[in-house]
Amino acid sequence: MPELVAARASVVVCLATPEALDTVSDGALRVAPDELLVLGPPDSAEMTALDVSRRISGADADAVVLDVSDGWATWTLDGDGARDAFGYLSELDLPEEGFVQGDVAHVPVKVVARPGGLHLLVPAVWGAYLHERILARCPSVTEREEPEDWSP
Amino acid sequence: MGRSVGSIDFEGRRVPFEDGDTVASALYRAGVRTFTRSVKHHRRRGLYCLTGDCPNCLVTVDEEPGVRSCCAPATDGMKVEREGGRPSTERDLLSVTDRVHWLLPVGFYHKAFVRPRLAWQMAERVIRWATGLGKLPVDRAPELGTARHLHTDVLVVGGGVAGLSAAIAAAERGETVALCDEGVIGDKVAPGPTLDAIRSLQEGMPGTVTILERHAAVGVYEGPLVPLVGDGALVQVHPGRIVVATGAAERHAVFRGNDLPRVFLGRGAARLAGVHGVKPGNRAVVVAETAEAIEHLRTLRYAGVDVVAVVASDGGVAVPEGTRVHRGAVVVAAGGRKCLTAVALDSGERIPCDALVLSMGLSPRDGLLRMAHDLPVVGAGDVIAPGCTLEEAIESGRRAGRGGTPNGRDVEPAPIGSSGYVCLCEDVSVGDLQRAWAEGWRSSEILKRYTTATMGPCQGAMCGRHLARFVSERSGPTPDGTLTTARPPARPVRLEDLAAGVDEVIEKRTALHDRHLALGAKLDWSGSWKRPFNYGDAEDEYVAVRERVSLMDVSTLGKFLVAGRDARSLVDQVFPCRIEDLAPGRSRYMLALDEAGYVMDDGLVCALEGGRYYVTSTSGGADTMEAWLRNWADRWDLHVHLVNQTPMLGAILVAGPRSRQLLSSLSGDALDGDTFPYMSHREIVVAGVPSRALRVGFVGELGFELHHPRSRSVELWDALMGAGADLGIRPHGLDALEVLRMEKGHIYLAQDTLPDDHPGKLGLDWAVAMDKPYFIGRVALERMREIPLERKLVGLMFERDASLRGVPLHVGNRIVGRVTSYGSSRVLGRAIGLGWIRAIDGVFPTELRAGEVRATVTPTPFYDPEGAKLRA
Repeated sequence: MPELVAARASVVVCLATPEALDTVSDGALRVAPDELLVLGPPDSAEMTALDVSRRISGADADAVVLDVSDGWATWTLDGDGARDAFGYLSELDLPEEGFVQGDVAHVPVKVVARPGGLHLLVPAVWGAYLHERILARCPSVTEREEPEDWSP
Repeated sequence: MGRSVGSIDFEGRRVPFEDGDTVASALYRAGVRTFTRSVKHHRRRGLYCLTGDCPNCLVTVDEEPGVRSCCAPATDGMKVEREGGRPSTERDLLSVTDRVHWLLPVGFYHKAFVRPRLAWQMAERVIRWATGLGKLPVDRAPELGTARHLHTDVLVVGGGVAGLSAAIAAAERGETVALCDEGVIGDKVAPGPTLDAIRSLQEGMPGTVTILERHAAVGVYEGPLVPLVGDGALVQVHPGRIVVATGAAERHAVFRGNDLPRVFLGRGAARLAGVHGVKPGNRAVVVAETAEAIEHLRTLRYAGVDVVAVVASDGGVAVPEGTRVHRGAVVVAAGGRKCLTAVALDSGERIPCDALVLSMGLSPRDGLLRMAHDLPVVGAGDVIAPGCTLEEAIESGRRAGRGGTPNGRDVEPAPIGSSGYVCLCEDVSVGDLQRAWAEGWRSSEILKRYTTATMGPCQGAMCGRHLARFVSERSGPTPDGTLTTARPPARPVRLEDLAAGVDEVIEKRTALHDRHLALGAKLDWSGSWKRPFNYGDAEDEYVAVRERVSLMDVSTLGKFLVAGRDARSLVDQVFPCRIEDLAPGRSRYMLALDEAGYVMDDGLVCALEGGRYYVTSTSGGADTMEAWLRNWADRWDLHVHLVNQTPMLGAILVAGPRSRQLLSSLSGDALDGDTFPYMSHREIVVAGVPSRALRVGFVGELGFELHHPRSRSVELWDALMGAGADLGIRPHGLDALEVLRMEKGHIYLAQDTLPDDHPGKLGLDWAVAMDKPYFIGRVALERMREIPLERKLVGLMFERDASLRGVPLHVGNRIVGRVTSYGSSRVLGRAIGLGWIRAIDGVFPTELRAGEVRATVTPTPFYDPEGAKLRA
């Protein structure tokens, strides 16, 4: 049974030239040629931002690195049938493992697929909407009340 | 007799059904022979194909019209009604139209009720009533089912021998496979070698194959995308490639009386007898032109049907011994009043019988194949090689499953007699086609449109090839005689099934949503946001702003960080306000203009340290503003980084004469007017929450917008409400804001403006620095400055209170404008508004009338025109 749980995560955005971003893209979500998001456990944003700033400053002095954790609502959909449940929300073709982004229940969402489950990042203004949609649209999805810390 | 497992309510009569019964088989077993009436001539129509291909068995099931009863499983308590006929299907007074065909000639719709124009409007209702095509349940909400997407390497459409073989072959290659069938696999096939092969293939089906029974493929679209409609479910399949194995329907036969009840296509009669154990008749004549006709013959006999004669061509299929065979004969007519009672052969012989079973060839169900242009779609089995043997079907399926293209064969043209019904759905006879041809309609597509042949529920499945044959026989091998274009839906589909999954109301919420609800807020839509309209007492909310202190959740405003070495260049060129002298810490009102100089949006530009800017826009304009800035940065190849901070930042407006007092109680930062003047911004900490505070004045009072991390909105709101209790704090909503901003003459974009308003029409020339060398819209404004204003937005004062928003403004009897905003100003003791007016002979009127109320053009702002309060 797929289970939905809110995930506490930190999100850092880095905007820089595509060439500069190539140097810091390990493990990050490249959401645009000049933009990447770095996800981590809660309270890690400051350290992450410092680390990314340090690594990218040499490649692009104008790079912008910001803690944007407040801008995202993060959900984890775990368990057997999580991918089938996702099919009730979106036509995105999920990789076995990796990142895709696009329309999920008609709002823009970043999806991190991994064996056994998915992370969904949605702009915070749609967090409540997506939460309601998942529970209303996807048969058999249950919810775990207690949020958990994000882990890759 | 089998065992009854339930009953259906058929027009008030209880009809039992057996395990595996469809609605059609249960009704036929109960003696129902007339299932519907034809649309034009009201002829009796009974079961014919029993494969879901013809329109003869459409009934209303549980208030849903147009259900194919041969495909609908019978369920206990189901309510079934027939559709055609007035007053009833069994006793139809309108059947008189069958004797006066001249009243309804071919092309009727193009010839009758053309003039006077009202005639058609009146006739249409009568015609719709007379056709008797079921009744839509308009008094209930649609039952929207689930919708889902399915990605697979291979989609196989059709669970027959070829389809199953294709699915197995593809799965054996390691591909992900989904197989759909509109029924239950094998449920339409009578016991025999074909069903044995299907069961054997099912047993060998790998468990990895996704089987979707009772899911009909509606069409093939680009992508490719194949929507499957099941019982209350829409599955949108995104396959890498598609194998169409939809088989073939038995060929519709055209001769006089071909539409009488108890005339069956071969597979239909065999299904009735072999699958459901219901004899189609006691004495049957079988027309055997296909190899499978012999299988049908055996099935009928096994069920106890006396096959009194077989009609077969010379050198045709071998008929079992002991059967009376009419070699070389042709059935030219079926006779009977309510049902078939005899058939006539071309030899003149008349054979009494109560069932005619026609197995005269196969017509491929190739609609899906024909609508799939330039897509990875192949056919397999009967759909490309009608009449192929079991071995050929298996091989064809395997080849398609492995990614190959199976061999097809030409489809024999459908023979067409000199009379009889070609199109059963629309009651189009051979004579109708001949008359249309004589009138000059001479291609398949044109004949289709003129006669409506192929345009009924079966979408040409029965008659499409007959129509093409009719034309090609007369025009020769030209494109005129080809099949008409195949389009979705390939199978009948309910609109509510297609609409499954689109019931979302996409709602943006601020972090304070629950706080507003707890305070009793009445929420209203504001663009895609849900915002407080009021908290129960809009008047006191207004008073709180003007006399005490008030909060408003303005998190919905668009909020953007513009950074990068070309940030200033972008902001300076996009917006018409002066940027050059905007020092860090200062803000400026901003209009966003398009290339034509028309106002798109407004907001603030705040200069930050390090050449960065913080830009705010209206709540509804945030998405457009982001796209607008990104577009121009790209077009001008500027080195700019844009961060849309709308989702991550909350914003609370603290407004009112006591707002500074409130903030001072929660912040150690300097907030006095000298240190922190109007139209400036500072980073301050309020109740421990770091905020960018903006001195603004949309409501016309001393005000601070606190832009802060969204996650801390609740904490900040609670602290402000708590500390403000002694100051008479009260939050205000959009209701109070409407008058507050109007008193200041501030506009609501879209409500007070029109799409072609430039700043001059709105009295906003002061917000445009025409001495800048360039900004978007400058060239247009330069040109428009030379044209006298014909229309402008003005402030209005009304002599008395009335509801006047949207009311036209008159001078004498002439309409010269319209009221766009209206409200009763408590502080002015007058009704005020905004509205646009036109110049009369180059002069703008000052005295007007809105309905019966006098209106006087008044300069804005109405309240605090010197701005002393907001600059305090």
